[in-house]
Amino acid sequence: MTHRIDFSKLSVCDALDLAILVEEEAKDRYEELADQMTIHHNEEAARFFLRMVQIELTHERILTNRRRALFPNRPCVVTRAMIFDVEAPDYGDARATMTVRQALEMALGGETKAYEFFDRALKEVHNPEVRDFFGQLRSEEQEHQALVQAQIAKLPPEPVITAEDVSDEPVAH
Amino acid sequence: MKSSAAPALPVFQAKDFKSDLKPIWCPGCGDFGVLQAIYRALAAVGRPPHEIAFVSGIGCSSRIPGYTTAYGFNSVHGRALPIAQGIKLANPDLLVLVAGGDGDGFSIGGGHVPHTIRRNPDITYIVMDNQIYGLTKGQLSPTSPRGLKTVTSEYGSVEAPVNPLLYVLAYGANFVAQGTPADMAGLSEVIEEAIRYPGFSFVNVQSPCVTFGGEEAQVKAHRAHMKTLKSLGHDSTDRLAAMGLAQLYGQELHTGVFYRNPEPPPTLDALFRERQETLAGKALPRERILDAFIQK
Repeated sequence: MTHRIDFSKLSVCDALDLAILVEEEAKDRYEELADQMTIHHNEEAARFFLRMVQIELTHERILTNRRRALFPNRPCVVTRAMIFDVEAPDYGDARATMTVRQALEMALGGETKAYEFFDRALKEVHNPEVRDFFGQLRSEEQEHQALVQAQIAKLPPEPVITAEDVSDEPVAH
Repeated sequence: MKSSAAPALPVFQAKDFKSDLKPIWCPGCGDFGVLQAIYRALAAVGRPPHEIAFVSGIGCSSRIPGYTTAYGFNSVHGRALPIAQGIKLANPDLLVLVAGGDGDGFSIGGGHVPHTIRRNPDITYIVMDNQIYGLTKGQLSPTSPRGLKTVTSEYGSVEAPVNPLLYVLAYGANFVAQGTPADMAGLSEVIEEAIRYPGFSFVNVQSPCVTFGGEEAQVKAHRAHMKTLKSLGHDSTDRLAAMGLAQLYGQELHTGVFYRNPEPPPTLDALFRERQETLAGKALPRERILDAFIQK
């Protein structure tokens, strides 16, 4: 979801900054989800979300280094206020008793949203360099989706009776 | 955007309003999205946290002031509005926000809503309407739909719900909007607009209870059936049209501004300030007050 971004006027530097913010937003959301799971005693899901924090952080650093190398002195004119939930998984999909499979499905939802974001943006981008960059990011999101799907495929099937069916309502701490 | 003509960056970012306290709401709760939307709205408004007072009542959603860096008062059940009015009158320069749930606002504190509206203090009231008492383990709330089965309505509720939108519109509220965490950008915008509105502003947020609410009330379902008032071509300056749409509360999920009085009446704080200035001219000097009292 974007807010007040005119993709037709994006420079390469702006596009890089935007991509960094997308990763930062996703990292922040995974951190929040890890906290939620820790607070609700779901250590397994918390560990998975913390792993996702590290992955998003790595992506963010790679992009930041590239930005610093290409445009060391140019000020950033893109802000977090311009994006909303681009790659960050939906809060509404989390559950206190969620399994790792469900957590992976949440992550897949985030990767799918990010793919759709860059796909939509590409239709509005005119600058050929920005088009190449966004095309590359879109492909990466597709690769990430495949990676998450491969992880899901490795997991055993979910039990017919889930923790949600038998547990009391969530209690924090 | 052109890098050569860099626009001024906002003074505050959403993270400036996020406190170190971690929310203990159930994962999946709609209030997480509402909180994000509030951070964004506050950053856009651009007032520093120390100039903001955030008051709440009791309930899951009433924990929200603690999750911000603003001054917070997690007060008494149903009494957030009178406390907020007191704060605003004592220090009119503060930006005053009020938050709470539908039970806090329309049952326990229901009597305060019309009086706040008629006084018109410059405060913003955000109700996180989840149609249930979640904190106390899922009893019927004033906005629970008829037929809802809960621990206090084993065979389904026989009561008609309170319609918060129609309620505040009928009492003359000058700014009335609704949002959902299914559209956080839209929610953030209406909260920002509500804060900027001079006078009492009301935002009803359909914020699902993940633990006691049905699947049809969750964020995914909201996303599937919500309609923006803009897409309907609604004229937000028309109170009667707003009331017509508000009647569909519980059947349709309309988001955006229902009503915005284009000619905002004077606020309570402005009227008080004016009265104080008028009376101050006739007042005795402080050192003569005791003499005047003794002479009588």
